[in-house]
Amino acid sequence: MKTDFNHYLLDIPEETWAYEELAIDGGRAVLPREGRKTTFPNITKEDVLQMLISIQKQPEEVIQEFTDQYRQYVGANYAISTASGTSSLHLALIGAGIEPGDEVILPAFTFIATAQAVVAAKGIPIFADVDPQTYCLDVTQIEKLITPRTKVIMPVHVHGLPANIEAIQQICNQYQLKLVEDASHAHSASINGQLCGSLGDTAGQSLMADKNFPVGGEGGIAFFKKEEDYQRALNFLQDSGIDYDISWIAAAFGISQLERLPYYDAIRQRNAQHLIRTLNQTTLFQGPYIPEGYKHSFNMFRLQINVNLPAFAGIPPYQVKEAIQTILMEEGVFAREWQNVPIPRHLPFINQKGFGNQYPFSLYQEDELPYGLEHFPNTLEMLNTTLAICRELRSPVEYEKLLSYELAFKKLDQNIEKIATFARTLNVQPPYERDARLG
Amino acid sequence: MSLAKISEQAPQKVSQKDYFSISFVLARVLNTGIIMSIEKNEKELKGLESTLSKLSGKKYVTLYNSFTAAIHGALWGQDIVHGSQATLAHSAAPQERKFAQWLGIELIEGLDQAYTVIDIDWQNLKDIDTLLKQHSQDKAIVVNFTGLSFGPVATLLTNEEPLYKKSERLKIFGAFDLRTMWTQTEQEFEIQPGVQFNYRLSPLVGACVKLSLLRRDKQDED
Repeated sequence: MKTDFNHYLLDIPEETWAYEELAIDGGRAVLPREGRKTTFPNITKEDVLQMLISIQKQPEEVIQEFTDQYRQYVGANYAISTASGTSSLHLALIGAGIEPGDEVILPAFTFIATAQAVVAAKGIPIFADVDPQTYCLDVTQIEKLITPRTKVIMPVHVHGLPANIEAIQQICNQYQLKLVEDASHAHSASINGQLCGSLGDTAGQSLMADKNFPVGGEGGIAFFKKEEDYQRALNFLQDSGIDYDISWIAAAFGISQLERLPYYDAIRQRNAQHLIRTLNQTTLFQGPYIPEGYKHSFNMFRLQINVNLPAFAGIPPYQVKEAIQTILMEEGVFAREWQNVPIPRHLPFINQKGFGNQYPFSLYQEDELPYGLEHFPNTLEMLNTTLAICRELRSPVEYEKLLSYELAFKKLDQNIEKIATFARTLNVQPPYERDARLG
Repeated sequence: MSLAKISEQAPQKVSQKDYFSISFVLARVLNTGIIMSIEKNEKELKGLESTLSKLSGKKYVTLYNSFTAAIHGALWGQDIVHGSQATLAHSAAPQERKFAQWLGIELIEGLDQAYTVIDIDWQNLKDIDTLLKQHSQDKAIVVNFTGLSFGPVATLLTNEEPLYKKSERLKIFGAFDLRTMWTQTEQEFEIQPGVQFNYRLSPLVGACVKLSLLRRDKQDED
């Protein structure tokens, strides 16, 4: 029988392993190959039973049950479950009142769906650089991008860290703009206890299978603060004919998963905080920065590499990163680039084909959209000097596995000179000039 | 709060006699733990594509998470885009016409019909082979399986490689994996993507459609 049950028993790692030979040099890997697999989402008997219950109900009833339960959990006033995160973002933008040719300010570092949702809403994406500490939308970049055509500011709670909503809301108030959250990484993330998805005028959130709160494969949900915005989104669905319905099967899976979300959140929080403490004790690494009062959901965990150590003098930072990624993977930790090109340099935004015949980009009133790499130095710096841990920390991993990850980082910290020597032998392109390197 | 019906095509109820079969296949897929459409080990969507290719005799199959998504794929794949003109079937539903207009396509009479639609539900599922044969010469066939009640699901069938390639690239992650998604490098400008939607189908839904297709002749055996 095919199963995702993991039978492998991982040893509790010993601190002395950090002083052994690196796996890349022939030593023992901290995490053996058989122990590297992580399982998420966790699918249990409750999910199967919920499916058996839901199959006997009207599809609309199952979808509404899911929508209401999760809407209440988030603390939003109105919600529409959708087929995907992209469609939820599209509806959130429509609900906010975006019209063809309106400009939307969003970060250059996010998943492509954020920007494609703007194009789907027939808006013009205007990209801002990210904050060098949080990697979310840099608030100081926003005002200079505002024009008479600006309608929406669309922060992304990237990796699960809430964007600086208070500052962005102030700008929105000053210029009478709408705030639309991309909360796709930020399930249960919050600012002073208020959950992402309920912070802006509207919000979109992915519920696909690699999110902290996954429904059955593909799904999304749009949230609305005001009834008129919710109604505008519903009217759009009728007027455009587009079918964004979520499957009742996905919704049924969401109902049973929602009951376990607080547990998943708690164990992920425990693990991430533990890892941050360990990383911050090393010379080589630093964990993510989290402002006071902010709760990070750790859908991804981006760690910074101290590329300015004397041992790395004269080596391009991305080459140091490449060396560390290679050595870490040999030790059994899948450290990834995830996203390695600022969104405005993705092919759909270089070509600007849009819906065809350059629409809606053809509505842009200036000569050229500011999509060049030179506009996003903080994003490039981040891509050069950081790595992300994705599924490995998203899953509710066992304590012994967490300790193994930590030991691998400690092991690298003992081998800075070797890393520098290895990095000097590499000949790699900057991240944004090639495909992403996965773990 | 009242039930929000967000599309014109109301989902129907799963046929009662199929509760067990569908539940079994859902439980089986859940047990594998693979429910993500971009997972390397995902088998259900590939299996459904293969089943549809065999059934239709068409070389290329693109799966979508809704009927309108498949229509979008059929149009985009033929370069019928914003600012283009197209002719739809006389029987085209109001939803199809509204959607094409929302895409910026002017609907006129007199051109070759842009695509053919076959709607499948529990009543005509057993006849799908015949229905597909009737349209075997058509360039772009949209088969709408939403009537089977698993949620919105449709496919685009074609023998035309450029049409297929373009329609796949309309989907986020359609032709790319987790490594190449970030640049989506393509040599041919013609197939390079423009606007993209997440039209990916959930493997759970795909598994249900596949099972229904495979046991389509056994409808009355219980």
